[in-house]
Amino acid sequence: MRVSTWQVCRATATAALLETIRRKELYVVLILMTLMVLGASAFRIFGVSGLEIFVKDVTFLAIGALTTVLTVLIAARQLPDEAQRRTIYPLLARPITRGQLLLGKWLAAFLMAGMSFLTLAGVAYGLLLLLGIPLKPIFGQYLLLKLMGIGWLCALVMALSVYLTPAANITLSLILAFGSGLFGRLLLMSHWEHGLNALWLNLLYGVLPHYDLFDMGQKVVYDWSPVPWWVVGAMGVYALASGALYLLLGWLRFRRQTLG
Amino acid sequence: MLAIEVRELVVEYRQPFRPPVRAVDRLSFTVREGEIVGFLGMNGAGKSSTIKALMGFLPPAAGEVHLFGLSATDPAARQQIGFLPETALYSPYLTPYETMRLYGELQGLRGRRLHAQIEALLETVGIASKMHTLNRHLSKGMLQRLGIAQAMLGDPKLLILDEVSSGLDPVGRRELRDLLKAQHERGTTIFFSSHELGEVASLCDRILIIHRGRLIAEHTLSELNGRFASLEDYFIRTVKTGVDALTEEAAA
Repeated sequence: MRVSTWQVCRATATAALLETIRRKELYVVLILMTLMVLGASAFRIFGVSGLEIFVKDVTFLAIGALTTVLTVLIAARQLPDEAQRRTIYPLLARPITRGQLLLGKWLAAFLMAGMSFLTLAGVAYGLLLLLGIPLKPIFGQYLLLKLMGIGWLCALVMALSVYLTPAANITLSLILAFGSGLFGRLLLMSHWEHGLNALWLNLLYGVLPHYDLFDMGQKVVYDWSPVPWWVVGAMGVYALASGALYLLLGWLRFRRQTLG
Repeated sequence: MLAIEVRELVVEYRQPFRPPVRAVDRLSFTVREGEIVGFLGMNGAGKSSTIKALMGFLPPAAGEVHLFGLSATDPAARQQIGFLPETALYSPYLTPYETMRLYGELQGLRGRRLHAQIEALLETVGIASKMHTLNRHLSKGMLQRLGIAQAMLGDPKLLILDEVSSGLDPVGRRELRDLLKAQHERGTTIFFSSHELGEVASLCDRILIIHRGRLIAEHTLSELNGRFASLEDYFIRTVKTGVDALTEEAAA
């Protein structure tokens, strides 16, 4: 009797959710974010008015940065931790394939990081309401897009985790996640300054990861109207296609990797 | 039927800019269904590498490994196998019950059947009272007991145990011995590595000795009885010279 991929995903995700609740890191980032938001709003004490934009800016900057760091750390430890603790052996001693385990671990990382993000966003929403700063409906699209980005980032980090050491993976993943907003600008600079061919420019832009595209924080800060749903759909397709590609690349290495 | 069949197995560890290290060198042996076989050797002899190849964790550089007639890399072969790795540290954020549930679900077990099996196995290995304590609060011996319990999930037909008594106190070792005997009486095939030769002598039908990756001796315990002071005596004489002490004695 083979175990279905769904069963593998459910079992690993359940264990991962229990771990998330029992680890301290989520509580630490929650406290950090609360301090940042309350700190930003403290300027009101000095009689400075019209600080809504500033407080929202700090809030979404905190959510974005903390979520990215948490996501990278969570996804980067999924397989290396199991190998280090030697618990990868009893896992793979079951009638499951390595592909199923990789997928199960990805889902677990996505759920852990997604749950942490929703908790952060929920607390931030409540804090802003308390401070008399309501958010516009685009906040819903922000949540959805960010969740897609988290799934996509988990796939990228997990794929890198089977090629690199944990420290190298975390460093590179953080550079790719935080630096992705710069890639487009750097390419345009190369085009203007050094006359980089437009074809190469587009190719490079397409190949480089674009985590920044999943962040609508600034639009929420400046109270934009919701973006057309086809844009969100297109981002979903991008997340699905490139995320699947990353997992495939990870699987190609992991399925034949020597464990031990 | 053969539970384990290893033919001309070669396991190598690759390293950049250096020739590969050969851990197992053209190893061949079989284990029949219902046997208890002890797999012995000094540290670094190739026991764990062989066991990892048996479980499909290490791709062989050459040779073949079959479990119940199926390739070791086929997940279906692992449906009937319970495996205990050498000193695993189970997730510190889960309890023994949750750890067992995770492995049980990955084994294809569910619901009441799984719950009943978890409770019975944790009771059998003597950590039922710690069922809902986080693993990080368990001692090394208790984690080893948890490892033994997870290996027995799903009533496997073959148990492969690496350094089975590692971390256990004398009481734990006695209990383990009784447990493995009971499993054997129920028809389970057991293949295990251990440095505890007293345990091996009291449990095994047959022993295999591996030295520098090669099988140098394969005997039933009755063949050795009366010829050596103890299994330890035979083992030390064999691994010191790298030649089977029984064959050497017969030749002399």
